[in-house]
Amino acid sequence: MSTGAQGRFLQRALPITGVTIGVLLIAGPFLATVIRSLLVWDGDIAAIEAGNFIRLFSDPRFVSAALNTLIAGACTTVFAWLLGFSLAWLVARTDMPGRSWLETANLVPFFLSPYVGAISWIYLLAPHGGLLPWLARTYLGVSLEWIDIYSMGGVIWVLTLFYTPYVYLFVIGPLRQMDAALEDAARVHGASFWYTLSHITLPLVMPALLSAGLIVFVTSAGLFDVPLALASPRGIRFMPTEIFSMVQYPSDLGRAAAFGIVVLTVTILLTLLQRRFIANRRFDTVTGKGYRPRQIRLRTGGKIAALTLEAIYVGGGVILPLVALLMVSFSKLWTGRFMWRTATTGNFEYVLTKYDLTRTAITNSLILALVGATLGVALAILQSYYLTRGNPKRRALVDALLSLPLGIPGIILGLGFLILAIRTPLYSTLTIILIAYIARFFPFATRTVTAMFLAINPELEQSARSSGASWLQTMRLIVLPLLRPALIAAWLMLFVIFIRELGATILLYAQGTETISVAMVVLSERSSGYVAALAVVQLVMLLAAFAIMRLTRTSMSQG
Amino acid sequence: MTDRFVHIAHLTKRFGDHTAVRNVSFEVPRGSTLALLGPSGCGKTTILRCLAGLETPDGGTIEIAGTPVFDSVQRIDLMPEKRELGIVFQSYAVWPHMTVAENVAFPLKVRGMGKAERLERASRMLDTVGLKGFEHRSATLVSGGQQQRIALARALVAEPRLVLFDEALSNLDAQLREQMRLELRLLQERLGFTAIYVTHDQAEAFGLADTVVLMNQGAIETMGPAREVFRRPATSFVARFFGLNVLEATLLGRIDGTPYVEVALGERLTMRALAGSGLVASVGDPVLACIRKEHVRVEQEPIPDSHAGTIEAASFLGVAEEYIVMIDEVAIRATRPAAGFTRGDSVHVGMSPDDWIVLQPEETA
Repeated sequence: MSTGAQGRFLQRALPITGVTIGVLLIAGPFLATVIRSLLVWDGDIAAIEAGNFIRLFSDPRFVSAALNTLIAGACTTVFAWLLGFSLAWLVARTDMPGRSWLETANLVPFFLSPYVGAISWIYLLAPHGGLLPWLARTYLGVSLEWIDIYSMGGVIWVLTLFYTPYVYLFVIGPLRQMDAALEDAARVHGASFWYTLSHITLPLVMPALLSAGLIVFVTSAGLFDVPLALASPRGIRFMPTEIFSMVQYPSDLGRAAAFGIVVLTVTILLTLLQRRFIANRRFDTVTGKGYRPRQIRLRTGGKIAALTLEAIYVGGGVILPLVALLMVSFSKLWTGRFMWRTATTGNFEYVLTKYDLTRTAITNSLILALVGATLGVALAILQSYYLTRGNPKRRALVDALLSLPLGIPGIILGLGFLILAIRTPLYSTLTIILIAYIARFFPFATRTVTAMFLAINPELEQSARSSGASWLQTMRLIVLPLLRPALIAAWLMLFVIFIRELGATILLYAQGTETISVAMVVLSERSSGYVAALAVVQLVMLLAAFAIMRLTRTSMSQG
Repeated sequence: MTDRFVHIAHLTKRFGDHTAVRNVSFEVPRGSTLALLGPSGCGKTTILRCLAGLETPDGGTIEIAGTPVFDSVQRIDLMPEKRELGIVFQSYAVWPHMTVAENVAFPLKVRGMGKAERLERASRMLDTVGLKGFEHRSATLVSGGQQQRIALARALVAEPRLVLFDEALSNLDAQLREQMRLELRLLQERLGFTAIYVTHDQAEAFGLADTVVLMNQGAIETMGPAREVFRRPATSFVARFFGLNVLEATLLGRIDGTPYVEVALGERLTMRALAGSGLVASVGDPVLACIRKEHVRVEQEPIPDSHAGTIEAASFLGVAEEYIVMIDEVAIRATRPAAGFTRGDSVHVGMSPDDWIVLQPEETA
């Protein structure tokens, strides 16, 4: 084979390989779940029938889990909309004091672990031994005992804190780049400030709000972490925790798979609906001819209201959980208040050096995050090349296919891989966890890299080829250096996600393959001090990744 | 009272350290049109935005129809929606989430008019701007020129007392721009609204406005009836803005009030010229001599009182051709019907003494 033909072969084969791996990673667990949901075992003989579904639908626990999940998802979406839009608008459009600092602070919850967030709020608000009720009783003489964090309200509160940044990230760009003449025209033609906000600004960011809303609904409803911490202790059923308990002994994989299929169907239908809706209202609000919005001056009352909202969000999402976590991690025994006299570093010594489970878990999490992020980004480069430079006729379909895992709950993908691997040597290895991680989260990396690929003019590559560089040389010397900011961002994003992942891991781990998040769940039965110390260790890793991301951030747009 | 329908006095607007508008005052009579002309960054758009209430000036007063809408001393600053204006933006700012009719009816809707009536009036206005039958189209699915007409209909539908145009024709292609310019002028005369146009295009300013205000670095450079401003450039900035040749010269003397100047063209060239207003130079002082490109004759054969020159550059513009001719070390630009000269050709350049305009040199303070 001549070198020319070899180059051409690589240029075609490598991206297609990336796409094929992506498709297999999605199709494998999906088909396994479909088949398993239809199989009913009778002794040693399996038959294909609808028995699993019939048993599922006639189970009152399924109905209550589904209902609770829908309520929590819908409420979280509405609250995240309100909070995310308000915060983005304040940061992007007003002269709120400290907004350059708050712009970053509003994003921090995006990088934190929802499981840790939930347990921090238990330390803060547990009916017996919560920090806030004690503070309120001691210093304000107010009773907060009526607030119960172990409730539907508690789940929605913590989910809202963690999903607000999704809305924030989606709408802040359109709010910043919108042609200000669209709003000014309304004002000059007689509309008041509020009328303009509700009839012009809001409808114009509606496509972004709807996209964000769908992602928030689907992912918050599918999140295992928060219901596990806040709903399970009171027996309030949610979809992810229900699937988890179906897999536990005595396990009923058939019924769990049937539940998974129901969830997948709803998720895919919603995604298709949103794609159609967005396609119908593509607003071109970003025109080069317009001008940037001018800053709105808040009056004193407005400034106070704005800062109060920020205090509630940043306080509730970052500062209070962090304070509670640190207090608990340095306490010998957590009783709802921190005492300097008995403060100890013993919890950290225990989880970092003495206890095998936590030491293994930290090592495993780091291996999974480092290897997984690297493999995920490599896959993303190949897929992005196909999505921007490949066969134009197939691109849209491939793009839709490869975006599917974005909405699939981690626990359902974990279930799929469990069914796939259960009788293979992969079962209970780190490798199967790694594969599940990449399968669930590679679309995040692919999206980031594709956005950057689109910004690279193909003529840059063509001129390298004309100058005599082979395809591989062009990739190495031109494309990859230009992609670097996106590659770093994608790598860090995957690192963060993998360090804190729980939903898929909880079904796939075995003794020796625990991760930090799994170890926290296991330890939560024993000592809140150990859990908090481990959470702080995890938090340090996450915040380090976040800091690197902010420092290396380039002109690349967010989201 | 017909005079000073719009009255702006001592308007000043700063952005940080940069003074965008510096002590600007002018008036617009009712039913007349005024163009704010100038290069980009001269402050003309800022004045328009201050008028609309979209920027808050740092000083001065703005009065519309006898009512103060802004007064820095009395702390009056009416919200944009209280000023009862119409505006057309460069980007058209047609709302993509509404139909054409909803866009046009918007000013009536916020004024509380019933649905049937406002849609009927929007329809009539669309008819006026030549968009009959477009009512139910999506506003994003029409061409740029049609979006421009939608923006115009929206600005006029509530019969505002004053309509503002911010580079409203700049995004249209040349042919459509000329057509819109004529239509706009006719529409203005028919409906009788007072209009202020902001533009960087002199043809647009002269075509649309009775009065032209030429701005430079935030201040008014010259202002007056369109023909006057063009025919007798008041300053060297104005002359350069309108594309005249501006050459250094010396005042030799005056005969019957008409100044005679010597233009430095290598071999000393002396000529008679008209003085611009405010020429205060005394004999022997440096002045500036300006001549329009169209008044510079470029011929192959010698003509009376001509100078020998060489073509430095030629650009073919279709009907006309523009040349840069070097006479010794001095470059002179000339426009004439295409003659096919190319670089290096020897030509004869004729400039009639009557065509020169003499101006005071730039202040070097």
